[in-house]
Amino acid sequence: MARRKKRGRRKSRRRTTRRRSLGIRIVTIMAMLLAGYLVFLDFHVRQQFDGKRWSLPARVYARPLELYVGLALTPEQLASEFSALSYRSTAVPRQPGQVSRNRGTFHIITRPFVHSDGQEASSNIRVRIANGQVARLDDAGSGRPISLVRLDPVMVGSFYPSHNEDRVLVKLEEVPATLIEALIAVEDRNFYRHSGIAPKSIMRALLANIRAGGVVQGGSTLTQQLVKNFYLTSERTVTRKLNEAIMALMLEWHYEKNEILEAYLNEVYLGQDGQRAVHGFGLASHFYFGRPLSELGVEQTALLVGLVKGPSYYNPRRHADRARSRRNLVLDVMGEGGQMKPEQVAQAKSRKLGVVPYRKKAINTFPAFLELVRRQLERDYREDDITSEGLRIFTTLDPQIQWHLEQVLDRRLSGLEQASALKGDTLQAAAVVTSIQGGEVLALAGDRHAKFAGFNRALNAQRQVGSVIKPAAYLTALEQPDKYTLATLLDDDPLTWTAPNGTTWSPNNYDRQFHGKVPLYSALMHSYNVATARLGLEIGIKPIISTLQRLGVDHDFRPYPSLVLGAAELTPLQVTQMYQTLASGGFRAPLRAIRAVLAADGMPLQSYPLRVKAAVKPATVYLVMTALRHAARNGTGRSLYQVLPESLDIAGKTGTTDDLRDSWFAGYTGDRLAVVWVGRDDNGPTGLTGSSGALLVWRDLFARLGDTGLLQAAAEDIETIPIDPVSGLRADTGCRDAVELPFIQDSGPAEWAPCADGGSQFQRPVDWFKELFE
Amino acid sequence: MKFKGVLLTGCCGVFVVGLLAGCATMPDTQQPPVVDQGVEATIPPDQPGGQMPGTGTTQAPVTTQPPAVLALLDRAEQQANTGDLGSAAGTLERAIRIDSRNPVLWHHLASVRLAEGESAEAEQLAAKSNSLAPGNRALQARNWQLIAEARRSRGDLAGARAAEQRVRELETR
Repeated sequence: MARRKKRGRRKSRRRTTRRRSLGIRIVTIMAMLLAGYLVFLDFHVRQQFDGKRWSLPARVYARPLELYVGLALTPEQLASEFSALSYRSTAVPRQPGQVSRNRGTFHIITRPFVHSDGQEASSNIRVRIANGQVARLDDAGSGRPISLVRLDPVMVGSFYPSHNEDRVLVKLEEVPATLIEALIAVEDRNFYRHSGIAPKSIMRALLANIRAGGVVQGGSTLTQQLVKNFYLTSERTVTRKLNEAIMALMLEWHYEKNEILEAYLNEVYLGQDGQRAVHGFGLASHFYFGRPLSELGVEQTALLVGLVKGPSYYNPRRHADRARSRRNLVLDVMGEGGQMKPEQVAQAKSRKLGVVPYRKKAINTFPAFLELVRRQLERDYREDDITSEGLRIFTTLDPQIQWHLEQVLDRRLSGLEQASALKGDTLQAAAVVTSIQGGEVLALAGDRHAKFAGFNRALNAQRQVGSVIKPAAYLTALEQPDKYTLATLLDDDPLTWTAPNGTTWSPNNYDRQFHGKVPLYSALMHSYNVATARLGLEIGIKPIISTLQRLGVDHDFRPYPSLVLGAAELTPLQVTQMYQTLASGGFRAPLRAIRAVLAADGMPLQSYPLRVKAAVKPATVYLVMTALRHAARNGTGRSLYQVLPESLDIAGKTGTTDDLRDSWFAGYTGDRLAVVWVGRDDNGPTGLTGSSGALLVWRDLFARLGDTGLLQAAAEDIETIPIDPVSGLRADTGCRDAVELPFIQDSGPAEWAPCADGGSQFQRPVDWFKELFE
Repeated sequence: MKFKGVLLTGCCGVFVVGLLAGCATMPDTQQPPVVDQGVEATIPPDQPGGQMPGTGTTQAPVTTQPPAVLALLDRAEQQANTGDLGSAAGTLERAIRIDSRNPVLWHHLASVRLAEGESAEAEQLAAKSNSLAPGNRALQARNWQLIAEARRSRGDLAGARAAEQRVRELETR
């Protein structure tokens, strides 16, 4: 036993030494681990803070409204623009973002804005609108006329990353001093003095918590709050609290107070918008008040500061009373701190909360247009860049036209359903509106209910086009002026064509009649199928396909003769591109939805400049346009002028497919082009022709666009000759129904019509301008 | 700097006094651009081009340039003269949105693109300007001059000579 004991004692002594050295080792290892951990933390803290701190969604802007004398605009349109921009209506505007209106006269202080091509300063202006246009534009101070003012653009959407983060970043110098002072007074009085943690506050909080038997008080500095939001989860454990303190010290060690404050202002959690957390004062200001921080009243600022303590508990939309008393408490603190005089505090406390109603997001107000923007962006950017780099995307969208288009579709489609005894929501529609010369997409609808972000028919519905394709065939013919002119007689007698494989094709006219010999322009104007089919067979389908491609239609056409009658499936956007080239005098401009993209810091990344390419001779396009103008005046489109003024110059083409499945209208004025499709998703019959369906939508649309521009001017090598439509030959005073038609120089008929007396005295001046108003 | 270099190589000037007169208001006796001697033209502030009386027009009433367009032209000129061609092009596009059939604006845009080294784009824009300016031979001559320079800059000498032939025809007609 004794020996054993001895041995045991020796052993235990050895064990103690061993244990001691083990202890030292463990301590050493622990210290190393701790040091390593601290180094890691430090690295983590700095890396996060130095690098990009937040993923910022891309912001998408509509076109900025340019105000100038002569602009077609109604007071209601201007008012709706300011409403979309969240300008505040006041008796007398005193700061940017405010507007007053007295009928047609507006007094505005515009917001400064960094556009894609530079800064537009704020201006204090008076605008008078009379007779549907801007009549005066003056400096409100001096009364002197101003030539041009550009407003800030309406933000029409954002592209969010998958985790739905959103932010409106603010720089410290942009944040009102009252907000910062109030924040520091309420949340962390010693912010500018402590080193990241405030031991006294922690002790106070600890005591309070022990007394209460749970966590009731925070005692965190702004720095700690930032760390918590920025790096850590929200669980309340001792380890986390310790980490928070260490990281707060590290942050303070590495960074200036103001850097930390700016990060805090952008990071603090201030509310919940559906699935999306509202972080930062910049976004919160828009979320609660619909305007930027710089435009908030002191009581609104106080409310935001009050929300820091508990955005859900003090949610001003749900718990107005709690929010009000919290706001008033903040105002009191501001008064105690000497930031406000007692009477100012009292006045501010008496004001309403001023929170705008929550708008069910409406993430993207114009989903169909945004899809087009995204599609164009995806050619140049990766998905991650689009959703997290804070790109600022300046688009071509004209909200005025877009709103109008949406209303028109909604009303007209219901009207069409009632008129043809269809059940509600049977019909669907798509429409694209563009500017003629620049090819900018001004408005786009992919569904009759434009807010619905589902199947985008404008971009994705491939529908049979019917007669809207015909101008391509006529254009191809007219490119051979020695063979075809507008006066060339085409044969509209019955036709049966036998394919090489023995099958036959016998096209019919819509009116089930044959019209004999008809001048070319008249065949297009009345959309005669048989004459067009014969023309297509004469000139060949392949040249027509090549014309379609030159016009900008990117599609794999099958070279069947029925193509000339529209046996091809195209999207409304493709049809728009085709007509775009026609409308702009033969110069193809790729349709654009984006003007420029800026990086988050305002550096231009990419511009999408105006590009044109001569695709078809202007003179030939002029001939086709003339036939389409006849179609609008007296042909398939004549019901346009039941509503639209005679002075409006329109070129347009209807399209109707078999069994009335698709109703199309493509038409343009001197200013704008629109293509409308109406049909059913199940491809069933609609009972509508191009004229009785899509054309009416088009007409409603243009009834309020205020277009006045004239169509393409005649090229120099165009001469105008009076023609007898029966013979297609030269007319003179002897001919009763003579029509003046343009011809490419020296291509007009030399022979006199039977009705003519040999043309001895007929010498009418060539005047295309006058003819427009006849 | 780059812009000046282009100018001095004999490029048609980006902004030329007379062109501001607009398509329909251009007298046919217009002198060739001063910039051909390497001098940058400026718009005299007391002579806004839009008010010049129209002569030699074959169609359309004489229209004056809207002040908004003149203001933008002015600004584009300043931007181009300081070498900020990207902004100048952007400003001209703004003007085109307001007055999209004004061939003078398209001509200026063509000049800026040429100065940027985009000779193919420049040629197309000049052709577009021509298509909008029937009857305006002075502007057409300028556009063909620009097309000649665009072609020469990419080595198409035969094309350049053909374009210069058009200039001569237009000037002597």
